[in-house]
Amino acid sequence: MNTWKGTRKGLTIFFFLFPTMLGILVFNVYPIVLNTYISFTNRNKFRPKPDCEVFFTGLLDPLCWPQFRQNAQGGLGQPYRLAEPLFANYQALLGKLFSAEALMALGKILLAFTPLIGAVYVNRRLDREIERPISSGGVWLIAIALVVGLGVLLSIRAAFNQLMTTGPFIIVVLRTILFVAIRVPLTFVFGLTLALILNDSRLKGKTFFRVALFVPWGASSVAILMALVWQFFFRQQGTINQLFSQIGIQGPIWLQNPVSAFGVVVLADLWFSYPFFMVAILGALQSIPVELYEAAEVDGANWWVQLQRITLPLIRPAVLPATVLTSITAFQMFGTAYAITAGGPLAGADTPGATEFVMVYAYRQIYQLQNYGRATAFAVLIFIMLFLATLYSLRITRITKGAYES
Amino acid sequence: MIKRTPIGVRVLQYTFLVIAVIFALYPVWFALLASGRSGGRLYTLSLPGMFFPVDWSFENYRFMLFERPYLTWITNSFKVASITTIFSLVVCTSAAFALSRFRFKGREFFLIFLLAISTFPGILSLVAIAQVLTAVGLFGKHLGLILAFTSATLVFCTWNLKGYFDTIPIDLEEAAQIDGTTPVQAFFLIALPLARPALAVTAILAFMTGWGDFIFSSVLVPAPDTVKLAVPALYSLANSVSVPWGQFAAGAVIVVIPTVLVYLALNRYFEAGLTVGGVKG
Repeated sequence: MNTWKGTRKGLTIFFFLFPTMLGILVFNVYPIVLNTYISFTNRNKFRPKPDCEVFFTGLLDPLCWPQFRQNAQGGLGQPYRLAEPLFANYQALLGKLFSAEALMALGKILLAFTPLIGAVYVNRRLDREIERPISSGGVWLIAIALVVGLGVLLSIRAAFNQLMTTGPFIIVVLRTILFVAIRVPLTFVFGLTLALILNDSRLKGKTFFRVALFVPWGASSVAILMALVWQFFFRQQGTINQLFSQIGIQGPIWLQNPVSAFGVVVLADLWFSYPFFMVAILGALQSIPVELYEAAEVDGANWWVQLQRITLPLIRPAVLPATVLTSITAFQMFGTAYAITAGGPLAGADTPGATEFVMVYAYRQIYQLQNYGRATAFAVLIFIMLFLATLYSLRITRITKGAYES
Repeated sequence: MIKRTPIGVRVLQYTFLVIAVIFALYPVWFALLASGRSGGRLYTLSLPGMFFPVDWSFENYRFMLFERPYLTWITNSFKVASITTIFSLVVCTSAAFALSRFRFKGREFFLIFLLAISTFPGILSLVAIAQVLTAVGLFGKHLGLILAFTSATLVFCTWNLKGYFDTIPIDLEEAAQIDGTTPVQAFFLIALPLARPALAVTAILAFMTGWGDFIFSSVLVPAPDTVKLAVPALYSLANSVSVPWGQFAAGAVIVVIPTVLVYLALNRYFEAGLTVGGVKG
C-alpha cells in the first residue's frame, strides 16, 4: 500500500482519474441525460431544432449554449417542444400494454415459464445432497414438460398474439430475447464440443485446428463486412442456392421468409461468436486436474457422467461470466442483423420486421426515420432493462468479487 | 493412465472438426476468391470456381488501390485507430493505476458505475455525441471521431488493466519506495513493464474499435470522400446501385485479413491478457 496520505493522496487520485471521469461524463453520462430529456419531447424529422427559450432545452442542448450558438445549423424545420401528453412517446411504444387484457397475457406467459426458475432452485437444493434422487437433466426435463403443459393449458399462443398487438416495444424485445435464447446456448454447445475435442492431448493436428477455428474471432472485429459475405451466401442467386441448383433443386428465397431470415442471422452470429467461447472453455478445461478423471475411471463412471459431474461443474466459474457477458452483447447485436437483413423482411409500415432486434430498431428509428423522440424513449426503456440485468448478473456471477474488495 | 480413445470416436471427432473448420474458414476463403475474380461478378457458375481460384487476377486490387480513394480511406482508418489506441492506453492506464494502487472513498462505486453506465446502448448515445461535437465544431472531423472512440473503449480497458495490475504484487514497488522513489515513479518503472500482456491486448482491442467500427464513423464522419473511413466507405459501396462485387471483396480482404492475422499472431496473449470474464461474444 502507498505511503501517501491526506491531500497529496487525494490530489494524485484526482489527477489520474480526471481524464476518465471527463470522458465518461461527456460521452456517457451527458448523452443519457439528454436522451432522457428528448424522450419527453416531440423531436423528429420536422422538428429538429432546439427552442432555447424553453428552460430545459436551453440548459441541456449544447447548441443553445452561448459560446457554441454560432455552430448551430440553420435551415428549415420547426423547434421541438415537450410532448403533449408528457409520456406520448412511451405510450406509442408500449401502446396498450397497461390494459387489463395485455397484463393478463403477460402474467400468463410469466406463469408458464415459472417451472424453469423452480428447476434452478430444486437443482441447487439437490446439489447439497450426496445421493441425488434425480439428475439435474431430469429436473430440467420435468420443468420443460411443465412449461409445455402450462403453455397449452393457459393458451399461451393467444397470449403472445395479444401482446404482439400492444406496440413495437414488446415485439422487438420479445424477438431479441428469443434470439438470445437460441443463439447463446447454441454457441455454448458448439464451443463446448470443439473445446472438449481439442482438449484431448493425443489429437493430431491440434494446433492447426485451434488456429483455423479461431479465424472468425479476428474477422468479427469488422463484423459488418463479413456479415455481407454471409448475406451473399443466402441471396436468391447466392452460393447456397447455386449448390442446390447443381443437384436440380430450386432453392428458397431465404431472406424473404421471416423464419429462415431469422435462422440465417443466428447462423452468421454463431460464426462470429463461437471462437470466444471455445477459447474461454479451453482455458478452463486445462485447469482441471487429470487425477479427477482417473479417479472417475476407477469408479467406473462413463463419459457422460464425467462430463456432468466433473467437467461442467468445474468450468462453471470461468464460463458463467462469459455467458452472461455474451448474452448482454447478443442482446445489443447490431451489425450482423443490419448487414444481412436490415431488419427485414418487413411485415408492414409500422410493424418491426422479423429480424428487427433492439439495436436495429433503434438505429432505423433514429437514422432512417429520424424519429428522435420515440427512439430515445425506446433507449431509456432498454437502458432500464439492461441496467437491472447487469446488476443482477454481477451479483450471480461475482465477476466483480475480489476486484474491489480487499 | 486414461485409456485410449476408441477408433470410432476418433473418426467422429475428426469429422466434426473438419466440418467446423469448413464452417470457420469458408466465408473468408469465399471473400478471397471473389476478390480475385475479374468483372463485376461475385458468383461464378462453375462449381470448382466456388472452391478454388480458377481465373485469379489482381485487377480488383489494382482498381481499388489506384483508381479509387481507397488508399486514403485505409490511411484515415489507420490514423484514427492508432491515435485512439494511444489516447485510450494513456487515459486507461492512469485511471487503472489510481484504482488499483490507492484505496479511497467511492472507489467501489466508481468501478460499478462504469460497468452499469456502459449498458446504455452506444447507437443511442450517438445522437447526443453528434450534437456535442457539432456544438464544439468537431463534427465531421477525425478528432471528434477519435474522442468518441476513445470514450467508447474506456470502460472495458480500465477494468481490464486494473484487473491485471491487481495481480502484480505491490512488494516490488514498496521496495523501490524505500529506495526513495515516489509511488507514481515506482508504479511506472516497475509494474507497468510487467503488465505488457494486458497492455498489448487492450491496445489491440482499442485499435479494432476504431478499425472495424461502422456506426460511429458513418454517423460522425459522413462525408466527403477524403475523410471517410474504410469500413463505412466499403459498406456504402456494397449498397450502391450497380455493385462492383469483386472490388468490394478486394476492399474487404484488405481490411479483414490484417485483423485476422493480428488475432492469430496474438492468439496466446488473449488467454493471459484478458482479466475481465470476456470481451465480446
